[in-house]
Amino acid sequence: MSELTSAFALSVLGSSALMTDFMGDQVPLPDGVRDVLPVEAAELSALETSLMGVFSSFGYREVRTPLIEFSDVVDRGQDQGIGRAYRMFDDQGRVLVLRPDLTIPIARLIATRMADEPGPVRVSYAARAVRPPSAGTGQGAERRQVGIELAGAGGAEDDAEVIAALAAALQAAGLEQPQVAIGSVALVDAVLDAVDADQDARDALWGALQGRSMVAWANETRRVRRARGRLGALLAQLPNLRGGGELLTRIAKIAPAAAAECARLLHTLDLVAAYGAPAPMIDLGVVRDWNYYSGVVIEAYAPGASAPVAVGGRYDALGARFGRPRPAVGVAVTLDLLHHAVGVPEGHEPRGVLVVGGSDTRVTAAAMLRATGIPVVGVLAAYAGPEEFARTQGLRYVARPMKSGWKVVDVTDGVATRIASLEEGPWI
Amino acid sequence: MDLTICVPRGALFDESLEALKAAGLPIDPLLNLGRKLIVKCPDGPTYITTRPTDVPVYVESGAADLGIVGRDVLLERQPDVYELLDLGFGACRMVWATMAGDDPAPAAIDRFGVVRVASKYVNVAEAWFESTGRKAEIVKVNGSVELAPLVGLADGIVDLVATGKTLRENGLVEREQIFDSSARLIANRVSHKLEAAAVDDLVRRFAEHAR
Repeated sequence: MSELTSAFALSVLGSSALMTDFMGDQVPLPDGVRDVLPVEAAELSALETSLMGVFSSFGYREVRTPLIEFSDVVDRGQDQGIGRAYRMFDDQGRVLVLRPDLTIPIARLIATRMADEPGPVRVSYAARAVRPPSAGTGQGAERRQVGIELAGAGGAEDDAEVIAALAAALQAAGLEQPQVAIGSVALVDAVLDAVDADQDARDALWGALQGRSMVAWANETRRVRRARGRLGALLAQLPNLRGGGELLTRIAKIAPAAAAECARLLHTLDLVAAYGAPAPMIDLGVVRDWNYYSGVVIEAYAPGASAPVAVGGRYDALGARFGRPRPAVGVAVTLDLLHHAVGVPEGHEPRGVLVVGGSDTRVTAAAMLRATGIPVVGVLAAYAGPEEFARTQGLRYVARPMKSGWKVVDVTDGVATRIASLEEGPWI
Repeated sequence: MDLTICVPRGALFDESLEALKAAGLPIDPLLNLGRKLIVKCPDGPTYITTRPTDVPVYVESGAADLGIVGRDVLLERQPDVYELLDLGFGACRMVWATMAGDDPAPAAIDRFGVVRVASKYVNVAEAWFESTGRKAEIVKVNGSVELAPLVGLADGIVDLVATGKTLRENGLVEREQIFDSSARLIANRVSHKLEAAAVDDLVRRFAEHAR
């Protein structure tokens, strides 16, 4: 035993010495977070701007909530509390939480600060939520999200508006054919009512759905005794069912208890079509991890993104937990996933100018270019290799003053031109 | 069909091939793989072959659309993927086993407050002992787990058992059964929606022949 212990201690010491050998002096960051450098930052901003632009055109006005909140307030958003989150104490010993989700703070804001607004209330946000990363999932701690929430009358009209706004925003951000799938927590519940499932069965079935296990779902449905015949087959297949309106018509026939929810989803589909948005796929296996959702649930997918680029749904009971009941629906785009799915955003090809010899000697010309939105950077005449510098800075042209006029090199193709003054360069 | 399917090398490989064949997929390129890790079937899917524990990694990240993997790996790694179908083969069970004779675990808990467990399945082992109210110290080993209790590295092992032959040959006895495992068909969250028709069709064909 003692031999083992000392061997263990030795191996730990040995390995840590090894680690420092090849890792050198480190300046580490906590797990799951990273810096964003200029190229990525510019592309993320461009995406954010196009998404927010579309949301704004639908009348959603931006709000911001604090980075930290009281833990017990945010915990109200979930039946069993919010689970894993970064928590800390304030100077009076109260527990604070770094916001692990954005819907809960926005619901709080709408229910408290905007409680007197008759509504419907339309708000948008572009912010970061933070959750401790789970080891090995590759899912970061920080999630940049751009989203909207609509607290209104609670009808299918609101659901459709949010779905249509999402589709339009994704298209504006460069996703040509966003595929949106919608499910419904209320519809699944209605089918469970139809088979008279008890609470244990419901918990097990919802657990299976949230674990995305069709196998566990099928196993659990065998224990629901009332589920026989066509109703039993419907229950067993429920999370596997997907398609268009015809699917809802079929479910309504087999499970009359779910007819109202089916009719509502059908109506939603019609309304979304009226917006001219691509038809969402009905998929009853779509559920959300947060259990505040109560009606339609929304996901959007793009090739190249490993998880849904946008998620959301209806959460009618959340407002009441903060003192002002008001049905609401919302959706959020995860910016990093969208970024993986789209190419380089338009308008972000390099186009700036590097002026050799200092823009300070050409202040007026430089200022004029800057006024038109073209970046201008000066570099000393003695600087070695200005073309390479221009490339690393995302600038497209290098301009050198000549005896009369300028010599301009396009660093993307090496083509040189002569111009009389900066105001008439190829960047105009 | 443009789907990419991740097939586990090792114990589940042959039966995976049978299941793929039964579902009407071409498997000829998989029969003479040699050292190739990826093969594209003309008019068929692309297959990639990996270690069993890596299958969920490829599927979760979207590098593969579908994958075949044991439930043991799913429970250990908890990937965010759809578990579509129990394929029925590769049946085995996850067990807690200790040396034959007196079970050393209760004594270890009584005297040291902790039981030492060697396993490849660190998360499963931890969850099992936590859920049964015992404090466990998990030692991660990557192979020949049965060796650990024989040389005093641990009081017992949490491992996957098919026939129990290896346990018996090493003088170990199964004390507790943790869960049953078999091969599962899993899908990437995005592929499951973007390739809905192809995935659903394939699931139907697999289901007809499963079990």
